[in-house]
Amino acid sequence: MSVTKQLFVRMVASLILAATILAACAPAATPAPTAAPVDWKTVKSAQEAGGLEALIAQAKVEGNLHVIALPRDWCNYGEMIDTFKAKYGINVVEINPEAGSADELEAIRANKESGGPQAPDVIDIGVAFGPTAKEEGLITPYKVKKFDTISGVKDAEGYYYADYGGVLVFQVNTDVVKEVPQDWSDLLGENYKGQIAIAGDPRASNQAAQTVFSAAIANGGSLDNVDPGLQFFKELAANGNLLPVIATSGTFAKGETPITFAWNYLALAAKESLAGNPNVEIVYPKSVNWGGWYLQAVSAYAPNPAAARLWQEFLYSDEGQKIWMKGFCVPARFGDMNAAGAVPADLLAKMPAKGVMENAIIPGVDQLAAAREKIKNEWDNVVGLDIQAAP
Amino acid sequence: MTESLAPARSSQKLALNWLGLLPFFLFALAFIIFPSLTLFSGSLFDAQGNLTFTNFLQLNTPLIVDAYQNSIMLSLQTALGGAFFGFLLGYAVVYGNLPRWLRTAIMTFCGLAANFGGVPLAFSIIATVGRTGFLTAFLRDQLGFDIYALGFSIYNPTGLFMAYMYFQLPLMVLIIVPALESLRREWREAAESLGATNWQYWQYVALPILTPTLLGTTILLFGSAFGAYATAQALTGGTLPLITLVIGTQIRGDVLGNPGLGYAMVLGMVVIMAACIAAYSSLQRQAERWLR
Amino acid sequence: MPKRINVFAWFIVILGALFFLLPIYGTLDFSLRARKGELSLLAYERVFSDPLFLQAFFFSVQKALLTIGFSLLLIVPTAYWVNWRLPRWRPVVELVTLMPFVIPAVVLVFGLIRTFSRPPFVMTRSTFTTDILLIAGYMVLTMPYVYRAVDTGLRALDVRTLTEAAQSLGANGPTILWRVIFPNLRGAILSGALITFATVIGELILASFLVRPAFGPYMESMGQNKAYEPAALGILSYALTWASLALIDVFARGNKQVASIR
Repeated sequence: MSVTKQLFVRMVASLILAATILAACAPAATPAPTAAPVDWKTVKSAQEAGGLEALIAQAKVEGNLHVIALPRDWCNYGEMIDTFKAKYGINVVEINPEAGSADELEAIRANKESGGPQAPDVIDIGVAFGPTAKEEGLITPYKVKKFDTISGVKDAEGYYYADYGGVLVFQVNTDVVKEVPQDWSDLLGENYKGQIAIAGDPRASNQAAQTVFSAAIANGGSLDNVDPGLQFFKELAANGNLLPVIATSGTFAKGETPITFAWNYLALAAKESLAGNPNVEIVYPKSVNWGGWYLQAVSAYAPNPAAARLWQEFLYSDEGQKIWMKGFCVPARFGDMNAAGAVPADLLAKMPAKGVMENAIIPGVDQLAAAREKIKNEWDNVVGLDIQAAP
Repeated sequence: MTESLAPARSSQKLALNWLGLLPFFLFALAFIIFPSLTLFSGSLFDAQGNLTFTNFLQLNTPLIVDAYQNSIMLSLQTALGGAFFGFLLGYAVVYGNLPRWLRTAIMTFCGLAANFGGVPLAFSIIATVGRTGFLTAFLRDQLGFDIYALGFSIYNPTGLFMAYMYFQLPLMVLIIVPALESLRREWREAAESLGATNWQYWQYVALPILTPTLLGTTILLFGSAFGAYATAQALTGGTLPLITLVIGTQIRGDVLGNPGLGYAMVLGMVVIMAACIAAYSSLQRQAERWLR
Repeated sequence: MPKRINVFAWFIVILGALFFLLPIYGTLDFSLRARKGELSLLAYERVFSDPLFLQAFFFSVQKALLTIGFSLLLIVPTAYWVNWRLPRWRPVVELVTLMPFVIPAVVLVFGLIRTFSRPPFVMTRSTFTTDILLIAGYMVLTMPYVYRAVDTGLRALDVRTLTEAAQSLGANGPTILWRVIFPNLRGAILSGALITFATVIGELILASFLVRPAFGPYMESMGQNKAYEPAALGILSYALTWASLALIDVFARGNKQVASIR
């Protein structure tokens, strides 16, 4: 062969080789969609996804949903998960039910590229964490079909929105406590010596910090001033009424910490679960009606983006909202559903009295952040102990 | 004794010796050092992500200094307490002529108890000597002895000390019993044949031999208490500032937490542990010199 | 020869027994009160009716045994080497083994997950590699105890003499370790094994974040709202763990081949 011919053959061979390599490296051909291909990671609504049916179909293809920090008896999440599983045939992986909101964000961060079962698809976080998660790019916007009917906290772009809420109540073990306190000022009384405990560390736990914040309002403070709350607990500790221990279900039932503070849905669920052993009374303090919402969001790194979005749709459907109501939680669409008469009587009975959630005092994210910072720095001065040289 | 070998071979020996520790260091690198470093590097950043040393400067705030002091005091007290009482129990197990089943029961129970902690342990103690504890009730109703009226309470450092002893003591027993068992009978017989009393045997023979082990185990107990978190939180509700609790609130508790500060605090803890080990190593070298 | 009753020893043992057993009785007493006003096993019935209970327990038992095996495989030769050849390195090795104490478990776990869930070291994609990561994590958490126990045991041996004697008989490294060192460390190894087993059974954070069905997460999942079942579960886990430890102890003592040096 002449040189030119050799060159020509070589060129053709290289081209064929290159083409073959490119073909092999090309992404696996997807069945040609009838519409434009959907990037499930950025779908912002069911409409963009091509309708709810398309969403359900893709979710089933993914086959898995990873949830995190959802204890089964918190807001009846157990039933929520089981119903979702049964309805769509999607397997639900429950990551670390006892995680806190900070842990949920860390789980997203740590598993950005892993896509394994430790990476959450959806998160349910405290109100204070929403803006941070959005800023850090950990969550992605998705507006559920009923987005407009959601009351409570709502990000305009749909990054996060309220899922359920409740109000802070006193949870009292009436087998031990005969005269049930009706309000914050009652707690200072002599007869409650050594009976009051907070259900968490106010420096770390959202519920505990809001307990202190709520006490502030009851004692002349405001949403911008949490000091009276710190003073109140200081007095409580000095009286010997406040026990410096974390109240748990066990210590409450034992009678060691018969008066504690909790979200009404947790207290009501505890009352139901304890079934009279001991008897529990829930007290809505007269002077302060303190409320709080939790937020729902989709992870920007969700390994199963369609399933994540389908879960959102399920939660905010009438069916999902009712499951939350069964768990005594006021769901974010309650106002809308109630107005439409879509709430059956037995579930209505589980909700707090009319107007309680609507008129609750709810701090703004910045106010809550400022209060928590103050509490974190000053809690030790208020109730601090120190190790002496000799125990 | 290896130092007396010809120095010409020492460099070759050094390389080979080093190899022996390789698996350990590789493992440590992969699963302890590297993961910790990726997080520790966070201590050089503040909450906004800027490179800074302020986290280390912030270690000097009263709250954090207080927390370190409390942690060190508590760890020291429970380490010494655990070492002392654990030694007594270990002594009883080895030299007490106890029946075999009792010995097994004690050793296995110590294995179990050394791992107690957190909410279950706190609850056990509350259920026993809390205000509504069964022992409190028994003492008050059957023996007319109200410990709470007398000022006792588990909700203070004393209670925390008790709780820590629950897992410190068994740890000491588990480690000291094999060490006590390794004291050769011949040594005791030799001492006795020289006219030593039991007390002198212990003073001049056994305790000096055991000193490195005792020191080393006390350091272990110190470290165990130093790093403990769940028990203190459950029993004191965080009202006692301990460094592990403060770290917890920075790293996990809050969106406002400054993880960088948290990691700086952890580095501080590592430095303290390193100092303890350095002190213990020099003490131990002195003891060995004395022994020779 | 009839054994003399050592009064002092019995006194200490009884005092110790009271200190340790009374709190357990406190939990037991509470766990029996699930039915108001009477003692009943209701809480225990509820715990047993859950098939996940034994499943989770056996999962953790399996992981615990594997952890013990690999830990000993790593630590005994290392401690032996430090004791025999590199005493100068002792402080460094000890600092490394004590680091898992000082670094809060949460930090370690986050670090492990961050390091091993992204390329190039991804270990969290498959169950098998995740389990390996889990066991490595357990090994790290128990390292302080196991190293201390083994080191204590080695100090009591005259390692140099034993090694040189074995070498003079023609033994090489692995043989020395396996047939001379290991048998003489029986007590120390047993201590390490006991602590490791109990630690792994109760470990919570690592297993939770790696989403593996271990016993610790199962106990937590009992729920914050239940009061009596966690107590019952606690008692059951103590009993099961104690029984397993006793089995390990009996098994370890069963194969006595080496005559005591005494």
